[in-house]
Amino acid sequence: MSEQVDSTRIGFRDGLIDLAEKRDDVVFVSTDSLMIVKAEPFLERWPERVIELGIAEQNGVAVSSGLASSGLIPYICTYAGFLTMRACEQMRTFVGYPKLKVRFIGANGGLYGGNREGVSHQFIEDVGLLRTIPGFTILCPADGGQVHQAMLASVDIDGPVYIRIGSGKEKKMFSDSTPFPIGKIRIIEDFGNDVALLTYGFTLGRVIEAARSLKERGIGAKVVEVATIKPLDTEGIKAVLDKTGCVVTIEDHTIIGGLGSAVAELIAEEIPASLVRLGLQDVYGESGFPEELLDKYGMSIDDIMTAATQVIVKKN
Amino acid sequence: MVDIKFLEDCARRIRRDVVEMVYRTKDGHPSPSFSVADILAVLYFHSMKIDPSDPEWVERDRFVLSKGHACPALYSALARKGYFSTKELTTLRMLNTNLQGHPYAPKTTGVDATTGSLGNGVSVGLGMALAARIRKLDYQVYVVTGDGELGEGLIWEAAMAAGHQRVSNLTVFVDNNNYQSGGTVEKVSGPYPIKEKWADFGWHTQSIDGHDIKQIVEAINIAKTVIDRPSAIIAKTIKGKGLPFMVGDNTWHKRVYTDAEYEQAEIELGGWTE
Repeated sequence: MSEQVDSTRIGFRDGLIDLAEKRDDVVFVSTDSLMIVKAEPFLERWPERVIELGIAEQNGVAVSSGLASSGLIPYICTYAGFLTMRACEQMRTFVGYPKLKVRFIGANGGLYGGNREGVSHQFIEDVGLLRTIPGFTILCPADGGQVHQAMLASVDIDGPVYIRIGSGKEKKMFSDSTPFPIGKIRIIEDFGNDVALLTYGFTLGRVIEAARSLKERGIGAKVVEVATIKPLDTEGIKAVLDKTGCVVTIEDHTIIGGLGSAVAELIAEEIPASLVRLGLQDVYGESGFPEELLDKYGMSIDDIMTAATQVIVKKN
Repeated sequence: MVDIKFLEDCARRIRRDVVEMVYRTKDGHPSPSFSVADILAVLYFHSMKIDPSDPEWVERDRFVLSKGHACPALYSALARKGYFSTKELTTLRMLNTNLQGHPYAPKTTGVDATTGSLGNGVSVGLGMALAARIRKLDYQVYVVTGDGELGEGLIWEAAMAAGHQRVSNLTVFVDNNNYQSGGTVEKVSGPYPIKEKWADFGWHTQSIDGHDIKQIVEAINIAKTVIDRPSAIIAKTIKGKGLPFMVGDNTWHKRVYTDAEYEQAEIELGGWTE
């Protein structure tokens, strides 16, 4: 059924259809967001399981709270910031606090996800905001197939789950059947113990490229995907840092509050290591094509290589 | 046959419990709890299809106290109905209590919805009501909002959606006591005309005296017969109704009884028994 399995939006839709075929408690809450994930096939098959609420995200989340407390598993999907900022309090007080099984799918994650829409539709704070709220599971899959797998893997998790998706123009990183490892890091490339490159989401491809270029220059990097930001696989990350002693985090997100912050906290409290955080340096983005935005805002392959070199110097 | 005297006594007991809780624990919102006492008495002791021995019963009617700060009244109704011991009432807002400062469903048996932050209850109730439709279950959902709370835009997002979708198993009481924390609602937020607003969003509307047991019972009965729209019942109430010294004095929005006031409450509402 997938017309573009690399699209995270289609990955969500197809995952939802898979779940709905198997269980009747799965419902889709739309805040006029049905079309952004091309969910017409879901609507045609299960019209009674689509709750269309119009452009009203706070209502969408609070209604989802009521649905979840009445035995359903609502999947609410719209732009990431309209959930995590406009409806942040509803996510916290009416879903997180009562530990309800609402699934939030936030589109346009990062500059890559928001790209030409500009700042109002580029969400670079979603992960950081949710990381402060107790009880949220935060998943940031790298491509459409991984979103699909994350949907299947997370359906029975207690409490709320947030899945970050993009614009639908992502690159394919994994074969469709690759399971999504909830709560575990994944070492994608292992060229040595000189430096660890930690990333998630749509920057994974360029981090792999940077690691390969570093290898050509005699620098052995590990590419580590941290697709579950919360709960963080602290043991897995510590095992990596134990070997490399230094790390660069690369995330299409502000460096404040996201993976970079989580790793900094871990380093400060548990395992000394050198760190450089790449991502948005406390600034907003702008309109542009996805790849050129990442390049401009400090996440180019050169930026990653430079940061790796610098952090190795810091370590030594 | 509705036993009006019994329901009036249930409401008196709720008010008396509120006094006891606030006096003993030195915290809480007395007069907002008093204004909803009669509505809660009718819902919990007459109208709602509930079973305290099976609080998670899937086909039970649901209740959402959107104005969560009135929870002392809700806790009293639940305890008197048998969801938990009345001994717990005087643990309100104390460390390790099951009776949080605002309703928290996971901790308090019988509480259907976590609330407290104003403006959210109609949406939560709408979700519960839609779940009945999706799961093909037969139950009603009742929500009580304040009138000051109508300043929250989310109320009207929910009103539009519920009216648009003709969610008929949802009934919202507006506790129209005319006061909010900062003064009269006319002065602070200007919600009038209230009934017309709900009607404009496609709701069936009724106006009643929110302290008249018979009118509350009948309004709920009428709301149940409306099968093509949600129902809004604008209940004219008096903040502090039941204790004359609280009426017209908005400091009772959140205030603790002195010994003398407590003794006066005992005279007016009777002695307290667990």
